Amino acid sequence: MSSLSKKFEELSSVYPTGTSSSLVLPLLHFVQEEKGYVTQEDAAAISDCTGVPAIQVTEALTWYTMFRRAPAGRHVVKICRNISCSLRGAERLIDHLRKQLGVEVGETSADGRFTLLTVECLASCGTAPAMQVDETYHENLDEAAVDRILGSLR
Amino acid sequence: MSVERVFFRFDPTGDSHSLDAYRGRGGYQALTKALTSMQPNDVAQEVTVSGLRGRGGANFPVGSKWSFVDRKRGVVYLCCNADEGEPGTFKDRWILEHSPHQLIEGMLLAAYALGARHAFVYIRGEFDLPLRRLRAALGEARASGLVGERILGTPFSCDIVVHRGAGAYVCGEESSLINSLEGRKGYPRNKPPFPAIKGLYQAPTVVNNVETLANVPWIVAHGGAAYAAIGSKSNPGSRLFGVSGHVARPGLYEHPTGYPMKAIIFDDAGGVLGGRPLKAVIPGGSSTPVLTAVEVENVTLDAGSLQQAGSMLGSGGVIVIAEGTCMVRLLHVLTRFYAHESCGQCTPCREGTSWMNDILTRIVAGKGRREDLDNLRSIPQGIMGNTVCALGDAAAMPVMSFMRKFGDEFEYFVEHGRSRCDGRLEV
Amino acid sequence: MEVRIDGTTIEARAGETVLQAALRNGIDIPYFCYHRSLSISGNCRMCLVKVEGVSKMMPSCNVSVAANMKVDTASPEVQRARRDVMQFLMLNHPVDCGICDKAGECRLQDLQYAYGTPRSRSSDPKHHKRKLYDLTPRIQLDNERCILCSRCVRFTKEISKTNLLGIVDRGGHAYVERNQDAALADAYSDNVIGICPTGALLSRDFLYKSRVWYLEPVRSVCNGCSRGCSVNLWRRKKEWWLRGELGEAANRAIYRVTASDNPDINGPWICNKGFDLHKTAARERALTPMIAGAAATLDDALDAARRLLVQSQRPAALVSSQASSEELGAFETALGRRVKVYTRQDCAPAPGEVTEDGFLIKADKNPNSYDVHARFGSVPLPAADTLAHDLFIVWGEWERYALLGRARVIHLTAYPPPRTPHPDVHIPLSTWVERNGTFVNFEGKRNRFERVFDKPPLVAHAVHVFERLAS
Repeated sequence: MSSLSKKFEELSSVYPTGTSSSLVLPLLHFVQEEKGYVTQEDAAAISDCTGVPAIQVTEALTWYTMFRRAPAGRHVVKICRNISCSLRGAERLIDHLRKQLGVEVGETSADGRFTLLTVECLASCGTAPAMQVDETYHENLDEAAVDRILGSLR
Repeated sequence: MSVERVFFRFDPTGDSHSLDAYRGRGGYQALTKALTSMQPNDVAQEVTVSGLRGRGGANFPVGSKWSFVDRKRGVVYLCCNADEGEPGTFKDRWILEHSPHQLIEGMLLAAYALGARHAFVYIRGEFDLPLRRLRAALGEARASGLVGERILGTPFSCDIVVHRGAGAYVCGEESSLINSLEGRKGYPRNKPPFPAIKGLYQAPTVVNNVETLANVPWIVAHGGAAYAAIGSKSNPGSRLFGVSGHVARPGLYEHPTGYPMKAIIFDDAGGVLGGRPLKAVIPGGSSTPVLTAVEVENVTLDAGSLQQAGSMLGSGGVIVIAEGTCMVRLLHVLTRFYAHESCGQCTPCREGTSWMNDILTRIVAGKGRREDLDNLRSIPQGIMGNTVCALGDAAAMPVMSFMRKFGDEFEYFVEHGRSRCDGRLEV
Repeated sequence: MEVRIDGTTIEARAGETVLQAALRNGIDIPYFCYHRSLSISGNCRMCLVKVEGVSKMMPSCNVSVAANMKVDTASPEVQRARRDVMQFLMLNHPVDCGICDKAGECRLQDLQYAYGTPRSRSSDPKHHKRKLYDLTPRIQLDNERCILCSRCVRFTKEISKTNLLGIVDRGGHAYVERNQDAALADAYSDNVIGICPTGALLSRDFLYKSRVWYLEPVRSVCNGCSRGCSVNLWRRKKEWWLRGELGEAANRAIYRVTASDNPDINGPWICNKGFDLHKTAARERALTPMIAGAAATLDDALDAARRLLVQSQRPAALVSSQASSEELGAFETALGRRVKVYTRQDCAPAPGEVTEDGFLIKADKNPNSYDVHARFGSVPLPAADTLAHDLFIVWGEWERYALLGRARVIHLTAYPPPRTPHPDVHIPLSTWVERNGTFVNFEGKRNRFERVFDKPPLVAHAVHVFERLAS
């Protein structure tokens, strides 16, 4: 049994009966966590186990911003560009990250370590500016903190 | 006079989020009381009497929303909306990180009142610590017979499933949340039918915000009347207000509704950064109309007071803007956000949000034209009230209010090709 | 119940929406995404109306009628909303009308003229999306022209149930996309062309062949299977006929086929085979009567056939299920008692063709089997060595005369008969688009078709052939 089918079985036992189409998002998350991105084949496999039409899985894959369609760097840096963070210096830090990593937003550093993305509000407005690297939140940032965090990551 | 607190009743350190700690501060006593000595209708009645209104931003009376559910329909779902995404808002995450059992207890009480055998927590896909704390708390609760079959040995059973979102602000809208939970894009639904009639998988469904549900244990423990006595009469209770932006001490502050806006900015949050004059305040999350410094002089954190001032209480996210901030560039941050988050389903929002953003992008690049200002005034009117969901209104209101209150800055930018405030956002 | 729309009281039915009640009573509320055979989407926002007692305007496609409801569809507020929606729709619309096949039958064009403003308020460049994309071998998709009404998506989800189409990506980037499995087939796909309110979905077969205002529809019936869906066959209007050589082909062409709404038989839909009827009608034809393989005049051929019949002792006829009821009636009257009648279902499914599918398509690929059966029962042709007829009148297409035993053959068919061996007499017949007539479908429902153009000169109508044979 593939790891996807196993995950599907596991989730089916947790979700109420008759809600297998709800498993589309959890399964997309699962694939992304395992592999770092989700392909058309993965979407077709998710369609097969949940019974949800393949085009509907593709719709979800393209509509939600957390899913990647292609591999990213070893670490994904997601810095908030919304209002409270902007009022506390997010633009300055985004510029700093662009220079430090030598990339534009959306690109991956030449050494493959970091992909830089801007994201919308992370609900860290009281501890702005904030960013999320992979799963971890980093708040109350300044340039030094950003450098420290990136430096600690292989 | 002691101030009643619903949330900040303990020191949020160490393992204050654990089941033991929660029990130590009286947790799950309300649930025990409800399951052993109250009928579901009694719980619903207390919530109605309490006057509790939704804390997600819509401010709708919770008791009314619950009353629309016909329990006889069989399957009823409860969904906790933990998709906190309104810019300026960061209170639900505090509850999940520091008092997740308070939410769980609130959900169980709501499920009991509604006859919901299954409940979901739809949580921001981005959330890290809040998710881990919630999952751990649910693990503890299940292990202690507080969630699952025959809770506390009573006939009441309820399972709670944590379901992660995947990066869409609109999924905080209840019908969008429901579509997302069904495995689809988060397109909102036209109403009627309302979710309480036909919601998740067409079953009666109640969607309530985290903070809303986390109030229920207190209400059941102390009675609805006691809750109704806190704060403002028309929208009572003790709320978590978030203050962010140009203040010395940004953070969450719990106060009864009716607390003065100036107090939360200048007392709790330590005033404007660097002692600068106040320029503007967005009172309830980015979707609420901006108020000038003059307009917040006498306004209180109360739905009626803010409505009278031409804005809204919303999600209680107070965003403080100091003198010297470029309102044009700030509005651009917002139009960019709404254009990015528009789901794309309906014409006015899909086309209008990207149009407004394109105009602001051009203005801040120094290429604004006179007709841009006319368009920024008229486009929101084509959106307001004409969309499937409130995201259209949420995108329109900042543009309308910024243009009305700070229109001269926009005119300056268009005429001179640059900001009157050096494009400053940070002070 | 009674409902008031713009001050006029109209009769509304329980369960109807305001839009449905209005349209039924001749009140023109504009809309794009609504379609009576698809689920309610309520996303175009063109049908917004003011309902008394409700502060926001409501999409009339999703408001159920209630007794004594008062609706306003003409106030300045409603007019303004329509103008705004049109402005939003036209904001990034490429206005390809000059090169777009949909011009002249385009709902976006029509509603823009009726409710939009002549000038855009935007002077910014339009957003671009994928254009002139071959969605399938049959359908062209232009994502810029698309207004994302979702009719096509709902069709492949709810009607053809192939889930071929969806809308991917978010906000202003959203676009219609197909399931990426190239093998996924939809036997009803072309219906999305008709329901698309813009030129986003176009028939690749019809692409650039003609402006629609030069054409007119003729009501006909599809002969592809025993359902006999109602169709419109489009021909050039008489006043737009071309002269000379160009006209020879153009004036006798069926340019395209569209579905004709028939609530009794096919509703608003037909299958792709129906959309291809113009290809059926353009098949190579038998145009010259033949006697013993040599060209002859129609008169001579009919005479020769009649003589063969008079001389025969044991004549038989193999009847066609492609024949109209009128032709079958003429045959029955003229020859029904004179010949032994065998029946068949002329046309068999092609390899890989969809047979019975629980929706429209039937396994019997002939339009009039029902009437053949009603008149003659079912009399299949037995094995050749048991047959002892000396004359066979074969009606319709037929490949192997040897299967008819050692009989002389009069072959009546619109299409070229076999050459070696050749039939004793061949009389070319008209096709159903060259005459009026009726088919009776598998449920016994009669459906009338009308002549699209005249038959070729040397070709005969079957009813005349039978009259001559019997005289």
